[in-house]
Amino acid sequence: MEKPLRDIQMTHIKYLILASRQGKVRLTKWFSPYSPKEKQKIVKELTPMILARKAKMCNIVEYSDHKVVYRRYASLYFICGVMPDVDNELLTLEIIHRYVETMDSYFGNVCELDIIFNFSKAYDILNEILMCDGSMAESSKADVLKHVMTMDSMEGNDNLDRVLS
Amino acid sequence: MMDSRKPASNGSSHNYSTTIKGLQLFIADLRSSQYSDEHEKRIQSEIVKIKQQFDSAAKKSANGKDKLGGYQRKKYIAKLAYIYVTSNTTKLNDILFGLDQMLELLASDSFSEKFMAYMTLEFLYEHAIVISKVRDKVTHQLIKDISGSNDNFVALALNFIGVAGKLDIEMSKDDNLTTEVFQILRSPTSTVYLKKKSALAFLTLLKTNPGILIDDPQRKQLWIQRILSLLDDTQNYRLMLAVLPLVEYIAKNIDLECCIRLLRQLTQILYNCVIVGTSNSEKFPSEFKFANVPNPWLITKIVSLLSILIVSPTEANNTSSAVLQSSNIDRETLGKLRMCVTKAIEVGTKSCNDPMERIVLNTILFSLINFASKLDPSPEAISNSVSALCSLLTSAEINIRYLTLDSLVKLCSISGRHAIDTVRYKNLNLIFHILDSERDSSIVRKVVDLLYTFTDSENLQIIVQKLFEYVQSSRHPTDPFIKSDIAVKIAILSEKFAIDAHWYINVSLNLLSLTSNSTLNDDEIWQRLCQIVVNNTSLHQITCEHLVDYLRETHTSEAIVKTGAFLLGEYANLVFEKASVGELFNLFTDKYFTTSNVTRAMILTTIVKLYRFSTAIESVVIKFFQIELNSLDIELQTRSFEYLNFVQLSKLNGNTKLLDVLFSPMPPFNTRSNPLLKRLGSLPSSGYSSTFSESIGSLHGDKDRSTTPPTSFSQASGRPAPPRSRGTKSASINTLASEPMLSSGWEEGFSRMLSHRKGILYTSGFLRVIYRITNPETENLTRLKISLTFINQSELKINGLSTEINAIRTADNPEYVLRNIEPPSSIDVNPRGRSEQSFEVIVRKTFSVIDSPTVKVYFSCGGSTNSIVLKAAIGVTSTITSSAAAKNTISLPQFVTRWKTLREALGDDGEYILEKIQLRRKKSGNPDGEYLRSIYQCISRMGFNIVEQTSVNNTLFIAGIIHTKSEGSFGCLIKLKYDEPKREVSLTCRTTSNGSLAQNISECLKYAISN
Repeated sequence: MEKPLRDIQMTHIKYLILASRQGKVRLTKWFSPYSPKEKQKIVKELTPMILARKAKMCNIVEYSDHKVVYRRYASLYFICGVMPDVDNELLTLEIIHRYVETMDSYFGNVCELDIIFNFSKAYDILNEILMCDGSMAESSKADVLKHVMTMDSMEGNDNLDRVLS
Repeated sequence: MMDSRKPASNGSSHNYSTTIKGLQLFIADLRSSQYSDEHEKRIQSEIVKIKQQFDSAAKKSANGKDKLGGYQRKKYIAKLAYIYVTSNTTKLNDILFGLDQMLELLASDSFSEKFMAYMTLEFLYEHAIVISKVRDKVTHQLIKDISGSNDNFVALALNFIGVAGKLDIEMSKDDNLTTEVFQILRSPTSTVYLKKKSALAFLTLLKTNPGILIDDPQRKQLWIQRILSLLDDTQNYRLMLAVLPLVEYIAKNIDLECCIRLLRQLTQILYNCVIVGTSNSEKFPSEFKFANVPNPWLITKIVSLLSILIVSPTEANNTSSAVLQSSNIDRETLGKLRMCVTKAIEVGTKSCNDPMERIVLNTILFSLINFASKLDPSPEAISNSVSALCSLLTSAEINIRYLTLDSLVKLCSISGRHAIDTVRYKNLNLIFHILDSERDSSIVRKVVDLLYTFTDSENLQIIVQKLFEYVQSSRHPTDPFIKSDIAVKIAILSEKFAIDAHWYINVSLNLLSLTSNSTLNDDEIWQRLCQIVVNNTSLHQITCEHLVDYLRETHTSEAIVKTGAFLLGEYANLVFEKASVGELFNLFTDKYFTTSNVTRAMILTTIVKLYRFSTAIESVVIKFFQIELNSLDIELQTRSFEYLNFVQLSKLNGNTKLLDVLFSPMPPFNTRSNPLLKRLGSLPSSGYSSTFSESIGSLHGDKDRSTTPPTSFSQASGRPAPPRSRGTKSASINTLASEPMLSSGWEEGFSRMLSHRKGILYTSGFLRVIYRITNPETENLTRLKISLTFINQSELKINGLSTEINAIRTADNPEYVLRNIEPPSSIDVNPRGRSEQSFEVIVRKTFSVIDSPTVKVYFSCGGSTNSIVLKAAIGVTSTITSSAAAKNTISLPQFVTRWKTLREALGDDGEYILEKIQLRRKKSGNPDGEYLRSIYQCISRMGFNIVEQTSVNNTLFIAGIIHTKSEGSFGCLIKLKYDEPKREVSLTCRTTSNGSLAQNISECLKYAISN
């Protein structure tokens, strides 16, 4: 079973890792099939490599057989593995930016703690933006927020139901 | 936090009703526990608690009552999910007990509970053990949710498929599931939101199992039409964004032709975004703009799909299917596409104050400029795009500089001459400046790649000099990888393009003397240098003299010591005037104690060889070996012991006969292609570390195969003892440099093609090319059919194999024409697989064999793009009457009579004399007569008649008839003399034509017999 899955390598974004400045991983999302061992290796090698780069350096690094695009927002590093020659590296930066913008609007000036305590929300918003193989599902921030809010209100209703029953 | 540009838009959006209090407390608890064991304890106690709750719930639910309740269940599952996330998946086995309750939660009617269950399972689906336990129930629930009426549940289920579908191949094989997902996609009543999700969910399933469409032709046609029609609404940007990846996958992997009809509407969408959107901003909905630029994501997606649909003029020759190329696109569409490119260049290079906007504009620029080569651009258009790009090299934004370089590398390798010329003649200094001033290794790497793509013999010296300056400069950060990368590239470039052998030696030794850093993997560099020096007699002395100079310095790099140990061991006698054997011995024993064990082992061998040159150093040699008998390293100890015995034995015998046999001079190497090339393919590309490590693996493999059985003094096979792969042929750097555009190693196949009707034209670590020449019409010898077979030599799949076969001239009454050029039979070649192609040559007039057709082969393999440029040798001799029937033997008197007649009729005009053709074919041990014999065979294989005679020694009398289509047939007579002591051949050729025919024939013969 491992084999056929391996061959599917057309993924645009291979993975997204959020790491804090201290190197703690806050969120990971794997769009390409990797074995647990490979994942560990990537996280272990990549985070120190990215953290060591100076602020003025460019946001694209070549790593293993692919490229890595990253961007730092306050104390968090957003790290994306992308296929070379498939996706535009700048575009990846824009996707990261859109994700941050959206979380920013949702949480109201989002900070690392928001992502820690509301990890399910952070994953949820990401799911609305990127899906499947790292293809972009929605580029409109308003639209993403609208859906996340809808879900929130439904969760709220669930809670209300529970109290009433 | 993250973005200062955005004020917190809506404080009330922080919806506290969604938070689970117990979970928040648990997370806060964990965060406050400072020490890891405290942390661990807290997690363990929580797991125990949850387990108890779940166990008792399971017992009670057996009675039919759910005591736990949805909220509690959700809370506990959420905690498990957090434990999984925060422990970096290491706690997987500790939380597996919760799977049953997760399934329970999944079946809940409450949205928040179902959401939590799907999310947690998305995490856990990464593990095969989880899938095997819950697969059936999850798939069942997915189908139930998708086919249900609650849109929010449908969304959750589609999302789960999109995320986890690739992890379980069984999911994509479930026909009910795929049909349900497709129903959502095609149904006119589905909301856009669900359609988008279903498009991507379906893509996930399709990628995991393309059989969904391929296995059923009827369904394939129907479903693909439905999917394509989703793009018909050219204003629905929202849906389009999600459908495009699906269409792109279909075009690329399932059915390209059915997607071609999209060309016009895709062009229209692109036009709306790029032209209308950027010039008239009111007309474009602001919701789809990012940093004031119309939908950059959509633009790049469309361009990437268009790149699949349209093939460039170069690719077009080799594609048989009815794909689009610029010549069969209607004028209006082509015009719109070209306008988009122009517009992208215009807005991408104009100044712009908002940094984000500039980045986005550049995104569009890069994506369209790379696409432009498909639109059959004029040389001016290419040159303009390159100039526009080069203007971005001075951009203040570092990412732009990086991507500009990246784009330039691609453009130079795709668009060829015009792009390269614009860069090298107009912007070389700028590139040097970047190399000099840039501190970021990502950028430097790209600069080096770019320089590498356009180095040739003309600019070699300046580029190598600049690269040297970079490596030597202390101002630059010491990134060992990049330095090693540059070192390898310097070595390859100077071997490939050097015209001056002495310059080459200087550069190579200088390079080796620099790479003192032990992290550099430079073994291949010095070994390659040794091979070249051994094979070129003229370089022996000069190299050795330089080496002595280097060794006399106090600090010598290890690579120089190794090179010196090997070469001076071979040719110490050439430097006696400069350094005596005694001094050499002292130089090496001085270095001995500062080098690694591998080098020491080499030096031990060198010392024995030095002893061979002068037995006067006997006592110090014996002493030295005696000391090393105590070496802690077993290999050094063994060698010392063995060598000591040799020396003492020869002392006893009073001669060095045994040593002379054991350490006889090294014959030339037969490693024709530079092994360093395997490190990067013919063209630089991304993915260094992988190609780097793979190639080292394969290099070792090669070495093992070609090594002769170890002789008595190297028992430790793992030791890199002086390379011992011996062969019969040499690669001379003088000839390598003569045709700068051709791939190294082309000449061997070229020469072979003149004397053999089939054989190997080229071989490298990636690809082997086999040729075969036939006559499609037996009566017409001027028509030749050349079949080429490409065999994948690597372990990886070769993609996009394409070729370009060009005649030296196509207009002005050309000497030969190419016809019926068939494309390669397949563009993808599996490891060990092959692809075939053929073309025909009609020989119209006589021409120089150097003007033979060029064959360019492009392919990518393992992430690197490669191109090989070869010459398919077609000479006038390829048309010689070769069938046995036509071979009317002629006798010596007949030959002499005709020889005289020709001389009388045409005088000097029909004659050509070629002298001193050096033979490289050296078979040690064979009697000299063998040389003449092999020349005889070679010429007879070419189709010539050779007079059978015994009266004149070492001379061949040769006759043949050359055919051309326009000028008719000509007779030719050749007298070939072999000078045995000098191993040289001289020949005189006379023909019945007074043009250049005699010279052209002589050249063919020279190539055929000298290799």
